[in-house]
Amino acid sequence: MLLSLNWLRAFTPYEGTAQQLADRLTMLGLEVEEINRPFAHLANVVVGRVLDCDRHPQSDRLSLCRVDIGQVGTLPIVCGAPNVAKGQLVAVAKVGTVLPDGKEIAETVIRGQTSRGMICSESELGLGEDSDGIMVLKGHFNLGHSLARVLDLNDEVLDISVTPNRGDCLSVLGLAREVAAEFRLPLTLPQTELPEDGAYCDQAVAIVIDEPELCPLYQARIIRGIRIAPSPAWLQRRLLAVGQRPINNVVDVTNYILQEWGQPLHAFDLAKLVGPTIRVRRAEEGQRFTTLDNRERSLLDSDLLITDAEKAVALAGVMGGANSEVTEATTDILLECAVFNPTSIRKTSRRLGLSSESSYRFERGVDQPGSALALERAMALIRESAGGTVLRGVARSEPRPWQAPRIAFRPQRAGKLLGLSLDETFCRTTLQALGCDVIEEDQSVWRVTPPGSRRDLEREADLIEEVGRCYGLDRIPSVLPRAAKSLDQLASLAPKTEFRRRIKLWGQGLGLTEVVNYSFVSTQELALLGLADAAKTITLRNPLSEEQNVLRPMLAPGLLQSVRHNQTQGNTTLRLFETAVVFQPDAGSETGAREPARLGLALTGQRHPEGWPHPTESDAEPTNFFDLKGMVEHLLRHLRLPAATFRTQPDHSICLPCAEIILNGEPCGWLGQVRADIAESCHVRRELFLAEIDLDLLLRHWAESVQSFTTLPTFPPVRRDMTVISAQNLTYAAIQEAIQSSDMELLQNIVLVDRFLPGTKPETEEIRHTVRLTYRHPERSLTNEEVDQLHQGLCNRLQEQLPIRFS
Amino acid sequence: MTVAHPAGSSTLAEQLDELGQALEQGLASAHTAAEVEAIRVAYLGRKGLLAGLMSSLAKTPPEQRPALGQKANQVKALLQEQMETRLRELERRKEHELLARFDPSLPGRAQWLGSLHPVTLVTEDICQAFVALGFEVVEGPELETDFYNFEALNLPPDHPARDMQDTFYIGESTLLRTHTSPLQVRTMERKAPPLAAIAPGKVYRRDSDLTHTPMFHQIEGFLVDRDVSMADLRGTLTAFVHKIFGPDTIVRFRPSFFPFTEPSAEVDISCMLCGGRGTCAGKSCRVCKQTGWLEILGCGMIDPAVFAAVGYDPEVYTGFAFGLGVERVAMLKYGIGDLRMFFENDIRFVSQFG
Repeated sequence: MLLSLNWLRAFTPYEGTAQQLADRLTMLGLEVEEINRPFAHLANVVVGRVLDCDRHPQSDRLSLCRVDIGQVGTLPIVCGAPNVAKGQLVAVAKVGTVLPDGKEIAETVIRGQTSRGMICSESELGLGEDSDGIMVLKGHFNLGHSLARVLDLNDEVLDISVTPNRGDCLSVLGLAREVAAEFRLPLTLPQTELPEDGAYCDQAVAIVIDEPELCPLYQARIIRGIRIAPSPAWLQRRLLAVGQRPINNVVDVTNYILQEWGQPLHAFDLAKLVGPTIRVRRAEEGQRFTTLDNRERSLLDSDLLITDAEKAVALAGVMGGANSEVTEATTDILLECAVFNPTSIRKTSRRLGLSSESSYRFERGVDQPGSALALERAMALIRESAGGTVLRGVARSEPRPWQAPRIAFRPQRAGKLLGLSLDETFCRTTLQALGCDVIEEDQSVWRVTPPGSRRDLEREADLIEEVGRCYGLDRIPSVLPRAAKSLDQLASLAPKTEFRRRIKLWGQGLGLTEVVNYSFVSTQELALLGLADAAKTITLRNPLSEEQNVLRPMLAPGLLQSVRHNQTQGNTTLRLFETAVVFQPDAGSETGAREPARLGLALTGQRHPEGWPHPTESDAEPTNFFDLKGMVEHLLRHLRLPAATFRTQPDHSICLPCAEIILNGEPCGWLGQVRADIAESCHVRRELFLAEIDLDLLLRHWAESVQSFTTLPTFPPVRRDMTVISAQNLTYAAIQEAIQSSDMELLQNIVLVDRFLPGTKPETEEIRHTVRLTYRHPERSLTNEEVDQLHQGLCNRLQEQLPIRFS
Repeated sequence: MTVAHPAGSSTLAEQLDELGQALEQGLASAHTAAEVEAIRVAYLGRKGLLAGLMSSLAKTPPEQRPALGQKANQVKALLQEQMETRLRELERRKEHELLARFDPSLPGRAQWLGSLHPVTLVTEDICQAFVALGFEVVEGPELETDFYNFEALNLPPDHPARDMQDTFYIGESTLLRTHTSPLQVRTMERKAPPLAAIAPGKVYRRDSDLTHTPMFHQIEGFLVDRDVSMADLRGTLTAFVHKIFGPDTIVRFRPSFFPFTEPSAEVDISCMLCGGRGTCAGKSCRVCKQTGWLEILGCGMIDPAVFAAVGYDPEVYTGFAFGLGVERVAMLKYGIGDLRMFFENDIRFVSQFG
């Protein structure tokens, strides 16, 4: 909402500066975002008198003028306007002036004649629409005085951000009421004199409301015999100051009243209304209607229409129709001043994507009892500038009269809720200054009736806010609450929160970088990853773009996006992790989705940081699958969870090869090398590895796991290596399991120390796994002979169970 | 190595003295611990020079023997001391040489540096501040129902205040939560007062430009009990602001509007760059845009309509609620200028935090 200070002062005698006002309004909850001086460019435009005006020697259309601008002297100016004449008082833009269109006035030579300034038209000065000729000032003005001063254009305009509850502050009057209350100034409504004549309005037009819930009040006045013309200059300037383009003396008045009273009006050309009858009814489903902006709209029966005896003439509260528009030829006007249901207006306006100054105000509620005054003032203004005869009285139908709420207000509760000791007199005067009627039924409970403009005041809490707001919320003291909570209720972090925190610290400790990706990705990206199954994803109804139209069913797409961005930035080595929920459809959930928590890992590039001391040769290699698997295993060990098993997951849509992670018999995630085409789409030149782990499952095992101490061994271990030779399709897990299943009490540990293919034909060679076994007795030292015997026994059993040999 | 042989003509006492002098000369030319050891063997060994002299003690007159014996012991102690001194000297020299070659300015073997996202760090900081005040941490779904996100929070359908939060819809009545406020309702449904909780999490709004991303992070906080007042709210938020932004930060309450609180306030803090003056070194402050204030969070007293939705009696209980944007706090705290960097995840950005 733009508030002109000059306009405000017509209602209340505020004498302070714009900045002071802005500060106070902001602290009242009416945040001032900016202070503008809409006519600041006029500072260098001065009043001048045309002393001479001769034809330019080299042009028929140009005039050569000498203009007296007072004490500074006279200026030679070449002027192209047809209406320039000797003796006129004109607006002269001096050299250096920047006009509203950005043009800077400079000294120039036009066809051999020097010109030092410009005689301006209204439109060039941003003071009106007239661009046919220069602006000729009428009256007595001092030459050389600035135009801003002589036309009283030193206006300042506050740009106020009005919260949705304060529809009343979308008007000069509403803001004036706030200012008057805040500064304890009087509020003066404009005096309206409206001579009426001729027939009675309610006999000239019938008003029928079919939908009283959607239109509680419809009133109209008629004026006949007007002449459409530009509005008076003062009215144009007020509109211009708040960014409204003047159109004509009827439309401008409706805009003026909308700004001043917050009451939207609509002017119909009476000659175009059949009947004349005004009917307020619902549109028919699919009905077509052309609005003022010449767009044909398709309506639903939830839209409210104004019709005459035959046809729709306006989309109620949103926009008028092209068929009843006021034109240059209009002589008789029916002026509508109605109140519409906020919800209905909002539905229509949003569905059609058609938000107007009117619909914006109706959505936020207008002052039903106050609307009659707005209509009267509008009529008076039209009559003043357009002439004509105002018919007697008002045609009006009010099926749902305004019922002001009567609110019980306890001053003591106000103080208690605000944490203040409030003076009762302050409460009373504040509520009264805001236009409320206050009856003190008894000392502790008052009956408060708010004004019709304050539709946001419905309950005691609303009144308490008003009192607090006017007292100054910033004056409320600071007290730390004493909540009556017992110590056992001071629960620390929820297990979920605590667990995620641990995971994040683990990632950081391991040298990973945490990323946070958007929860939405594109269908296209999911298709690339083979995840585009619509039954397994959740799609946004109204995405911002196709790039972000579906919720990610796993973390991988987001992680790949992070990889892609970093690769394009030249960050080729990446060690990323992310913890977040993913989204899966679940018809059984109230939200229609499950949100399992996941941990994602992405790894590519160097295994070790660059630079001296040089790593060993294998350390200089790029990172590979086993680095990532090591991290997964490290996480489980870090959480003191049992070791997972890993088995090939064929046909994984993102990774090849891919391994499924099994924890305590349950699938717990996967890890693998990203398929080449996907890696390429992320601009990765080296191998890229991803893992995704089910954090909910991990949390469950972690919460159940119990840590307990095992006595330290006192007797020395004895180690034996064995090299198992087999075909390449024998997995290490098979060897490991066979050893473990032999169930030897004294066997304490198994470590794979080497794996190699000795020959030159790796495809067909037998593979050798060297395993180091640790034997230990808890109560005595083992002898070499004992261990040899145990070890040989183990070897023999393995050879029986597995297709292996030892030499 | 040369070992001086004492002259045969002198007395045993003289020979013992000469032994000491000879050792001193010998040690001076020993440059390693091994050379010192060889000298030790030659002088003090079982078949060494001292042992040789001592064997002639038996030939001296018995009355001289105690004095000579004592002298021999003194010489032996002296010899040992000389040798140890020399060993220490050599050890020190070795250390000097080692230090001369040592270059501590060479880089260490680099380890990967782990980093936490600034959103994580700020969320942690804020949660810790409130947990210390006795708040519990609660979480809820990111995909919400219209009831929890709007209706129960006094935002009926077609209310103009819904414009304040442009919403991503999934279905007719399911949506991505536009704020963490649904946790107020979910928590109050589950528990009876008194309660004090904070709810961090991702939220979503259909808005994307220089200063808005369609996903961001919020922390909601609320406290319900008997006789909770706006002064308690101010005290709590002041304590929090002082913890996060420093004890000199000034907190300002400014009336505002949220459908789920009444009265509602925006909380501004004094600008940490210009200290609330609005100017830095004569220029207008770029952080607070010359106002001296930074808008940091929204808050208010929980609206009776919210209590009605969860079945609390608003005549018995009152409470406050507040919500703040994590990215906003992180930008102020770390001086990050561009919101979009938070979700690009450039490692050169994230690596700066941990």
